[in-house]
Amino acid sequence: MSRTLTVEGDINAVDTRVNLTAQGSVTAPSLVVPSGMTKIRSIYTTFAADNLADDGAVVLLVRLGGAAVMNGESVLVCGGLGGQLPQAGSDVAPSIGSPFKLEDLDIEVRASDTISISAEIAGVDPGDTTAAVTVVYA
Amino acid sequence: MSKVYRSREGTVTAVDTKTQLTTVGSETAPGPLLVPAGAKSLSAVLAAFGADCAVAADGAYLIRLEGPGLPEGPETIAIGASGSGVATGGCMNVPSERFPLDIPVTPANEILVFAECVGEDTGSITIGATLEFTV
Repeated sequence: MSRTLTVEGDINAVDTRVNLTAQGSVTAPSLVVPSGMTKIRSIYTTFAADNLADDGAVVLLVRLGGAAVMNGESVLVCGGLGGQLPQAGSDVAPSIGSPFKLEDLDIEVRASDTISISAEIAGVDPGDTTAAVTVVYA
Repeated sequence: MSKVYRSREGTVTAVDTKTQLTTVGSETAPGPLLVPAGAKSLSAVLAAFGADCAVAADGAYLIRLEGPGLPEGPETIAIGASGSGVATGGCMNVPSERFPLDIPVTPANEILVFAECVGEDTGSITIGATLEFTV
C-alpha cells in the first residue's frame, strides 16, 4: 500500500529556501506521515519559470526533512532550466517542465511525525518559478 | 537497506575548466561532503543542469568525483549537453537524470564534486549533483 503527499509553491528568488505547504485549492494539506508508512518510496517533481530574467541558469533543489525524516535531511537535485530574454517584438517558445520521477528513493520516515518539504533554485535567477513535489510513502 | 542523499551545485562559466561544486543553494558553506556513516556504496548520481543559452554554441557537461571517500580513485560521468543556434531567446527546462552506479566508498571521508563544460563554451551553466549512498 502507498500514500501520496503533494505540495507546491512559488520560488521567486535564488538561494532562498521556500517551504512548500500548499496544494492549490487545498491551502494546508497534512504534512503528517500516515500511519503504517515507513519510507518515502518515490518522489516526483516538476518546475517551470517564466524566463523573464535574462541569463537565467538554475538547478532545482528539493529538501526532505522534518521530524519524520530519519538519518537527517536529504537534498535532491531535481532539474535545471535557463534561458534568454527574447528580442523585442519576437515570440518565444514556452519552456515546459517535464516531471522528474525517481523510484526507489528509500528514505526512512517515522509515521505520525511531520515532514518538511522545501525547494529552492540555485544559480542565476530566471524569473518567477513554480515548483510542485509529490512524495509517495510506502 | 535505505539511502541517504548529499548534494552540491555551482555555476560553470568557461569551457574545459574543472569547477568545484561547493554550495547547496542557500547553504553557501555546507562544508565537506562526507560519505555517511555505514554507507556501503555510491549507488547513483542524480544530476541536472540549467544553461542560460547565451552563446550560439554546443557543449557537453561532466561531473567529476574525487577524494579520499573513493578508494578506487576518481570517476567521471557525462550528464548531458546543450546547444543553441542563436544567442537570443533560447530557453531550456530538463529534469534530473539518475545515473546508476555501484562504487565503493570509505565512510566519513570526503568526496569532492566537480563539474566541467567540454566542447564549446555555451555560456553560464548551473550544474547540480546529488550523490545517492546506500547504507
